[in-house]
Amino acid sequence: MKRLFLAVLSFFSVITYAGSNVLNIYNWSNYIPTKVIRLFEKETGIKVYYSTFENNEALYAKLKSAPNSGYDLIFPSTYYVQRMADEGLLEPLKLSRLSNFNYLNPRLLNLEYDPHNRYTIPYLWSTVSILVNDRYYNPKSIHEWSDLWQPRFKGQLLILDDVRDTFSVALRVLGYSINDRDPKHIYQAYVLLKKLLPNIRLFNQDGILPIYLDGDATVGMIYSGDGYVLHNTDPRLQFIYPKNQVIMTMDCMAIPKGAPHLNNAYRFINFVMQPKISAMISEGIGYSTPNLAAVKLMPKADQESRIMNPPANVLDGAQMESDVGDKATAVYMHYWEMLKLSA
Amino acid sequence: MTRWFSRGYLSLMYLFLYLPIVVLVIFSFNNSVFSGLWHGFTWRWYHELFNDSSLLTIALHSGIIAVLASTIATIIGTLGATALFKYRFFGKQALFGLLFIMIIIPDLVVGIALLLLFHSLDMPLGFFSLLLAHITFCVPFVFVTVYGRIVSLDKNLFEAAKDLGATDWQVFVKIIFPLLIPAIIAGWMLSFTMSLDDVIISFFVSGPGFQILPLYIFSAVRLGVTPEINALCSLILLVTIFLAISSQYLLRGRR
Amino acid sequence: MNNQQFRFISIATISVWMLLFALFPLLIMLVSSFLSQGTDSFLELPFSLSAYETAFHYLYVRVFFRSFFWAGLTTIICLLMGYPFAYLVARAKERVRMLLLFFIIIPFWTSSLIRAYAMITIIKTNGLLNHWLLSWHLIKHPLHILYTPIAVQIGLVYTLVSFMILPIYANLEKFDWRLVEAARDLGASKLRAFFKIVVPISAPGIFSGCLLVFLPAMTLFFIPDILGGAKTLLLGNVIQMEFLDSRNWPLGSALSVILTLLIALLLIYYRKINTSKSMRGLL
Repeated sequence: MKRLFLAVLSFFSVITYAGSNVLNIYNWSNYIPTKVIRLFEKETGIKVYYSTFENNEALYAKLKSAPNSGYDLIFPSTYYVQRMADEGLLEPLKLSRLSNFNYLNPRLLNLEYDPHNRYTIPYLWSTVSILVNDRYYNPKSIHEWSDLWQPRFKGQLLILDDVRDTFSVALRVLGYSINDRDPKHIYQAYVLLKKLLPNIRLFNQDGILPIYLDGDATVGMIYSGDGYVLHNTDPRLQFIYPKNQVIMTMDCMAIPKGAPHLNNAYRFINFVMQPKISAMISEGIGYSTPNLAAVKLMPKADQESRIMNPPANVLDGAQMESDVGDKATAVYMHYWEMLKLSA
Repeated sequence: MTRWFSRGYLSLMYLFLYLPIVVLVIFSFNNSVFSGLWHGFTWRWYHELFNDSSLLTIALHSGIIAVLASTIATIIGTLGATALFKYRFFGKQALFGLLFIMIIIPDLVVGIALLLLFHSLDMPLGFFSLLLAHITFCVPFVFVTVYGRIVSLDKNLFEAAKDLGATDWQVFVKIIFPLLIPAIIAGWMLSFTMSLDDVIISFFVSGPGFQILPLYIFSAVRLGVTPEINALCSLILLVTIFLAISSQYLLRGRR
Repeated sequence: MNNQQFRFISIATISVWMLLFALFPLLIMLVSSFLSQGTDSFLELPFSLSAYETAFHYLYVRVFFRSFFWAGLTTIICLLMGYPFAYLVARAKERVRMLLLFFIIIPFWTSSLIRAYAMITIIKTNGLLNHWLLSWHLIKHPLHILYTPIAVQIGLVYTLVSFMILPIYANLEKFDWRLVEAARDLGASKLRAFFKIVVPISAPGIFSGCLLVFLPAMTLFFIPDILGGAKTLLLGNVIQMEFLDSRNWPLGSALSVILTLLIALLLIYYRKINTSKSMRGLL
């Protein structure tokens, strides 16, 4: 009975798959410029479907709950790659199929989260820093993360809706590593963040741009990509690197296991690694490209932009987010939920 | 004095109800991306909408689900209303109760319950799960709409027909059904609108292969206010308003 | 088709459908609330009460109370705003009444998501409301409304006030106004007549309206989601969070079960007060 049921179902799902020349992308919102997608569609004749998730936890939950999720290409952050790979959720990559691989910055390859880039290709990297609207507060009065706890910011902060990014801030203030696995330290970070709650106006991840532009939040955390776009749109929105406390993140391209359109996924990855496309993506979204050749193609202003291509000294003491293992991740998630409930 | 008060109060309420909608429509013609200020009139966003093929596909998906779900729900609901009106059977009261519960119960609970159902059946989320869910939440509403109408019909009509030798099926087709048509259509339209607008239940039971409009708008809305979304929403408002008008006209006309 | 067949088919279709897709899922939800959070799958044996233990933790109880409070506040505001409106429309002349009613029903039919979204342009810091207030010099600095509890409250009232108006109107429409005239003739003041006669008789409509506002106010998660900020986590948002982010399906199910039970209690109370056919009273 169940088999008959499933047979009827698969019949229907075949109908809705709209042919085989398709690529199902599951990504952060607004993370690939429409221009680039259209160029890809034009060049290859492959139709691209773009679905979005809000954060890595949602991505992970979706893949786990539906192993035949139907997605061909996903964009996890570094700290979820290892966990997904260990749980067999990712398709191992044949780097020989990616001819444009050599354009990438070697310093961002073969890192701890994915040795030898067995499963992922770096897509865009960014820093997490502070944004302030100088109509409300003097940027020079803010130097480091702990400044956000000042009472003058009551109800003004936008805090990123990402457990790792936000806990990293508290961990840095406490002097710990952002990849700390010690439950006691995580608890201390939670307590510290609870003290920040009166200042927090909202947690947000996707709709950051209009919130800062409209003044619905006047200071808070920001990704460098968004900061780049915001500063260009309204120069009174200033980007501040907290001294020695910069947090780095990177998002990668990966293929989920059992992806229905494997070849199309490879084609897209390779397409994206072309220097001119990679430059287009970085310019379009504001995040930093791992593609060295692409940087050289950018206009001078961007090559020298402190936000998009920060000089090395700014990144002194910066830490990159990586996986902390199942146990610690569960602890983080638990306190993250408690934090939100405590608001 | 009371005249002015009542006029003033009514106007204020209508203003409250319609202002956001009016602003939405006006700003869908705004020639600017981010600003909340007026920058000039443009059709640009509507052009972009109609050129966005993936968006049109999504709209089509919503339409297909709405039509299928409403039609099937109307059939089930109408037959059910007839059955519960005519016959006595074991569990009749319980069924009434269940239908009542399904109307009262928050969408959130329905969505979760259905998600759990599909999960336990190992059923992938997509077109089919969405369709089943939509039919399920529409049936009670069609039922209530049609049932409300059927109880006001003259029972003597059926008795007379049966005395003349008609079978139940004939009575249904030739007498009951024609008299119920306004209610059936109203029920269909109610289902159609509910299906088109549903966010909460669809949120839990939909899959990646089959995207629908309300969820698309929901994720787009999180990104902030943009004129494209304004244009899209204005169009949807237009469609639902048209449906509201038609349904009211129908219901009133056949009183 | 003979009588037996028609009877069978007409009863069976709706019964089977409701059993399979309404009753059965609810039962599954009940069972799920007693399962454990799995590492590989969402629900695993063994059976346990841990979901309920967590649900009764202070932070979750706080969310329940907060949701009840806000839903209650929303209901009261909707009642205060909606009753006079329904009253005025019911008292209006026949032709005007049709028109007035018509314009109330339209927003009722449109997507509440879209209407809530439409509010943003008006209440955001750089939005129309602040522009007007600033240009009329009524305020010096822009009001920060969006992403605060106030925005959510406004959003809930805006979305749900029609649900309050319509049942009350439906009730008042059938009201015999001669009763009021009679009372006036006997010497009662307008106000007295109103509170002693009109209000009690329209009580079923009031209760229906309150029910139709209160329940969604607790569970419409997309309104606090798009209009609210950190401090507006309501029950609907928490349950959604459990299923999507925390992947704690037993807890999510348990919270839903508790919510359903509370609703059931409310309904039993409602049934006791409103003795007439409740289902038709709702419409």
